[in-house]
Amino acid sequence: MKQSPEEKKLEDLLRSTAIVAGGFMGTDPRHPADVIQEDILETEKRGFTPAQLAQRMHELTELAKPYLGCWVETCRGKIRVKTEEFKGALICPWPHPGLFDKRVTAAERLDTGEKIQWTDLNIHLIAEHSFFEGRGAFFRIEPAEIIRILFEGLT
Amino acid sequence: MLEFFLTILIISSIAAGLALLLVLCQRYIVNYGLCRIVINEEKELAVEGGKPLLSILRDRKIFIPSACGGRGTCGVCKVKVLQGGGPILPTETPFLTKQEQTDRVRLSCQVKVRSDIRIELPRQLLSVQEFVCICSQIEDLTYDMKRFRFELKSPQTIEFTAGQYVQLLCPRYKGSSEEVYRAYSIASDPQQKTQIDLIIRRVPNGICTTWCFDVLREGDPVQLNGPYGEFCLSRTDAPAVFIAGGSGMAPFVSILHSMRNARCRRSVHYFFGGNTVRDLCLLEQMKEFEHDLEHFSFIPVVAKPAEGENWDGQTGLVTHAVQRSFKDLSTYEGYLCGSPGMIDASIKVLTELGMPADKIYYDKFA
Repeated sequence: MKQSPEEKKLEDLLRSTAIVAGGFMGTDPRHPADVIQEDILETEKRGFTPAQLAQRMHELTELAKPYLGCWVETCRGKIRVKTEEFKGALICPWPHPGLFDKRVTAAERLDTGEKIQWTDLNIHLIAEHSFFEGRGAFFRIEPAEIIRILFEGLT
Repeated sequence: MLEFFLTILIISSIAAGLALLLVLCQRYIVNYGLCRIVINEEKELAVEGGKPLLSILRDRKIFIPSACGGRGTCGVCKVKVLQGGGPILPTETPFLTKQEQTDRVRLSCQVKVRSDIRIELPRQLLSVQEFVCICSQIEDLTYDMKRFRFELKSPQTIEFTAGQYVQLLCPRYKGSSEEVYRAYSIASDPQQKTQIDLIIRRVPNGICTTWCFDVLREGDPVQLNGPYGEFCLSRTDAPAVFIAGGSGMAPFVSILHSMRNARCRRSVHYFFGGNTVRDLCLLEQMKEFEHDLEHFSFIPVVAKPAEGENWDGQTGLVTHAVQRSFKDLSTYEGYLCGSPGMIDASIKVLTELGMPADKIYYDKFA
């Protein structure tokens, strides 16, 4: 696929270890645009949009923040969630202002035991760029996993 | 068809050739000559022009705090450029407030020195030094925190004030192809000038902490620079409340050493919060400080002891423990070190208890 110089620069940054250890692309050989396209399709196939997923993740992070690292239950006891904050901040690799605290949110389904974790930067990347990171990246989250853990069977 | 591809090939080759020529000219022919950097209207450097201000100053052993090694991704290396330096670049604006832009604050990694330039630096930065050290000891404090001891080799001694921090150079390693600096509070006795301790908590997938925990070994050479920062105990006799969590313990260890050295009789209540018992650390050392400092008390607080953990101390959030312990803090000073969430919650509680906002000092992990 033909890339513009800007796209090439972005891909180089996503594959580099300049912002996070191991980079955002992990071992994924696909172009970032293909990663994004396939994840959007995967999300839409299940009746959602990346923005909806990010919104849910954001709500859970905001819910857990005041508890300063302790678990808090939600969704009538079906999910528990906690946030942990670390020293420093992360920037969005896309060329626009975007600086995020190093905060990791962990969510666990209490009925199935499934767990998932994300950073504030993940929420932004999914909401604004539909980017769930490349396969093999430390904070890659499968859209199907987000939907299964944070949406399905909660009513 | 062949003609079409040949044309594309020729045009591409010419473009690539011109780009290469431009790069070579930039490197070997363009000569900005000697430029003057005037610092605080009192110190003058004559430097070869063409390089970023941050690296020119670093070459001259003037260290501006920077976490990303000068790639314009952390926004830490701010300096005031009073004259020269060209216009603010789009790569800088995300990191500068409107007020900072008006005040001529720039990211020193993005400012190329191409002509004479006048800058303003905080005075204490001029005394920052670079240290070559040996990692002499690595000690587990909790499941995700370690204490690293660095023996200074060159220079062999450091002068710092308890509460200050250094910047540790994380070199290239498998998984990180670029050098980065990260700031860590010094956790040792300021009187012990030949070595420093750092308390570091592992950050999931963090570039520098992954190196510290998984790559760095005792005996390895390490480079750091410092000291930096203004977080330190005031010179008043006011009673104080310290609040920390996780590796926020570090500056308080140093401060308690300095209080002991000075035979300080100041009243201090130190609240240290952990989610479970296994998040607590240095309990024995805190007992020693309690023994040696007449008016010091250490209050570890566990948010929720895990199943099977034996804990008879305070429970709940660290801020709740502060609320339970005091009715009026209007004559107290507050010292906080930890995550942004903990700091914000602590400030709220302290001000509700009457502590004046200008008496709350903090070192936020941001």
